[in-house]
Amino acid sequence: MDEVVVLRLSNHLPELDRLAEAVEAFGERHDFPRKMIYQIRLVLDELLTNVISYGFSDDKNHEIVVEIRLADSRLLFRIEDDAAPFDPLRADTPDLTSTVEDRAIGGLGIHLVRKLMDIVRYEHRDGKNRLFLEKIIS
Amino acid sequence: MELVEKRDGDVTILVLNGRLDSNTSKILEDKVMDILRLGNKKVLMDFLDVDYINSTGLRVLLLALQQLKKNQGKLILCCIKDYMKEVFEISGYTEIFPIFATQDDAVKGFA
Repeated sequence: MDEVVVLRLSNHLPELDRLAEAVEAFGERHDFPRKMIYQIRLVLDELLTNVISYGFSDDKNHEIVVEIRLADSRLLFRIEDDAAPFDPLRADTPDLTSTVEDRAIGGLGIHLVRKLMDIVRYEHRDGKNRLFLEKIIS
Repeated sequence: MELVEKRDGDVTILVLNGRLDSNTSKILEDKVMDILRLGNKKVLMDFLDVDYINSTGLRVLLLALQQLKKNQGKLILCCIKDYMKEVFEISGYTEIFPIFATQDDAVKGFA
């Protein structure tokens, strides 16, 4: 059963609760395993937290659109916002082999996004960041 | 997130409950600093009732590990839910944290 859910969030961190609830409900409707629901929540949480925390330099209200689509055993996500241009694919990858003492704090969120999704594509068009994610359901 | 502190000999056990994320990780960070101030060096974090962790929560675990190591201490984790294990692996945490399946085994891990 295919389904599309579109969420329009404002750029405030408490909105992430609404996103989490929507993901949980979506996952349960389609009998996704617990692990998959958790990983989807995590990926969207990391990306949206970044956008909301660092993307805007004014005090205005901004809309962030999150689309979740299930089609042909693939999960497709689209995140669209008018925050400062940011391509997560260009972010530095943390060194996960360094010793405990030297291990850098940070950079982990984007690393998780890249690892947990099968495809990540970014574009900046018409003043908007657009991030397309894809996860193949096995 | 709720946090219950227990003692087993010289091991401080932190039983965590709920979400470890941007809203709640500070509670754990402060608690670890308190424990260090008191001079305790063996800390066990029990994740049995943790149902969500994100990179902010993971970051606090790394900070705690670094602080404890600096003070010749040790941090052990236990009871991480199966569905969250892959995220610990991808984060490289299974390489740097001793992780046990049960609290009993984890306490023995300090010996």
